[in-house]
Amino acid sequence: MTAFVLAAVVGTLFAAGTFLLLRRDVLHVVWGLTVLSQAANVYLMTMGGIVEPSGDAVPVLAGHGEHVPQTTDPLVQALVLTAIVISFAMTAFALVLTYRVYQEHHTLDLLEIGGEP
Amino acid sequence: MTDPFVIAPMLVALLSIVATLGTRRRLGVQIVLSLAGVLAYAGTIGAIAWRVALSPGASPATYQLGGWPAPFGITLVADALSAFMLTMAAVVGVGALVFSVSYMPPDEQRVFYHPLFHALLLGVTGAFLTGDLFNLFVWFEVMLMASYAFVAFYGRAEHTRAALRYVSLNLIGSAVMLLAIGGLYAVTGTLNMADMATRLADPAAAGIETDAVVGLSALLFAVFALKGGLVPFQFWVPSAYRAAPLPVTALFAGVTKKVGFYAIVRLYFTVFGAAELSVSIPGVSGESLLAFYGPVLFCMAVASVVVGALGALDADSLEGVFAYSSISQLGFIAIPLAIGAAATTPAIRRFAVLAALVYALNHALAKAALFLAAGTVRDAVGTSRLGDLGGLAGRSPVLAGVVFVCALALVGIPPLSGFFGKLLVFDVAVRAGAVPGLVLLIGGTGLTIAYTTRVWNRAFWGDPSAVVDASSPDPVQLTVLVAFAVALVAVGIGFDPVYRFADAAATAATDRGAYIDAVDLTGGGGA
Repeated sequence: MTAFVLAAVVGTLFAAGTFLLLRRDVLHVVWGLTVLSQAANVYLMTMGGIVEPSGDAVPVLAGHGEHVPQTTDPLVQALVLTAIVISFAMTAFALVLTYRVYQEHHTLDLLEIGGEP
Repeated sequence: MTDPFVIAPMLVALLSIVATLGTRRRLGVQIVLSLAGVLAYAGTIGAIAWRVALSPGASPATYQLGGWPAPFGITLVADALSAFMLTMAAVVGVGALVFSVSYMPPDEQRVFYHPLFHALLLGVTGAFLTGDLFNLFVWFEVMLMASYAFVAFYGRAEHTRAALRYVSLNLIGSAVMLLAIGGLYAVTGTLNMADMATRLADPAAAGIETDAVVGLSALLFAVFALKGGLVPFQFWVPSAYRAAPLPVTALFAGVTKKVGFYAIVRLYFTVFGAAELSVSIPGVSGESLLAFYGPVLFCMAVASVVVGALGALDADSLEGVFAYSSISQLGFIAIPLAIGAAATTPAIRRFAVLAALVYALNHALAKAALFLAAGTVRDAVGTSRLGDLGGLAGRSPVLAGVVFVCALALVGIPPLSGFFGKLLVFDVAVRAGAVPGLVLLIGGTGLTIAYTTRVWNRAFWGDPSAVVDASSPDPVQLTVLVAFAVALVAVGIGFDPVYRFADAAATAATDRGAYIDAVDLTGGGGA
């Protein structure tokens, strides 16, 4: 059941992100990129495997040889943390850039900003 | 078995970032520290190259971050392939930084120019050294973050527009890369490249579905092609290259583009190539996952060579021509890789990687020098539009001579390094019996001659225009340019050591066993 819910969530997020990405407004594009990278993060979480938690998934604990607490795969969580930090930085940069684009072009409409410089 | 010196270039680059950030208010000190930083960086890379590739008892070195053993911790691996790419980065990096001290106005150097430059080098170094798939993503991001800032550096209308496109594309690329890496982790159960290669060599034992690996590696491949600027992912290249400061564009074309190329070589030849898989595509046969990429890479290479060259024939400024030319030249680097990927014998595969590496080195030196030369022209004349130039050869024979040498190197005239690059690429095509590849190489070389001749005729011959007559190129910039031209000649004349270095790098790229041994997966007690 969890797998289906997560699949639906990831799918919806990707759809929403792509939709925003294709808008004419630069700000929508930036939000689209943010939603897209968050969708990638949720997907990354599910890649740890949706299984009953056990100690075997954690090499540090499995090496103990005794009974270990029940845990899911901790590696994907570390990966997601890193990815979130990176996407924060990127979002901040993209927003600053959007502001700069507005200052230079006096518009946030991609059709008015144009193509080749 | 960890060697701390592997991490040295990254620490040096990091220290340079901090030092140049701290001395922003004192430009003189900042420049001295920045130059010292880049020289130290080159020095550490020289040490690595000597230790892992050039000295008699050379062997790959690894560093396990935090002392965590291999499959669990993050591994840095310096083998001959990494060392070769790093050497390229160091040479172009030193040249570009010395050039930019003279080229960039002092006020603009104060605007975080030096810290960003070192951040770019740090990202590139990390990407070349990492032995961990997720860390490859992280270092790509470090490198891209600095490059975003550089594309938007001047902050006028056309630069913000180029940056917007560049940032959006690369953010989508990063999301896709994350998807592919996550998927590969789920399928193979590891992120360590050596561990992944071990498991892919025996998929049944590790419970890996190879079909899934093909799809996920193809996703990843699209991302690397985007970073490398191969057609059909080339459209961000011209505007981004024209927007960034020209010394940085030299670094983009010479080094950061090669990171995508390096990632393709490292991952597809060293890691994914281990997976056995019967491929049934017309004209290709092979029992390796790599065979799947032969035709794909070949089509992209063909399109890159043609599209890039046609764009270069049409571009209206020096850096525009060189930016399109850089798409075309990357196609030339991809052709031997495509032939090598489709090849069935290990000998041809190794030789193909060798040819691609030599060609990449030639392109890095020649194209970096050409972008720097475009910078000198823009600095001295005030414009680099082909329509406003003319007669530069009469005004500055040295500048013209450098551009002439670089253009000949791109075309592949002996005794320049480009000759050996071209020769090896042709040799690979002949040995593998790849007739379409041969036809394309000859046609592409013809197009290279066409656009370099066009630049030469428009900008360097003829009567000097008024702006050209009033110009005087900066001697420091000319010295850097001459150094690059001398390097091109020196690599061509003293080709033997370069060949041996590239040979060691190609061996490292295709010798899976040595890579896996170097990482030493047994360190974890077999858990």
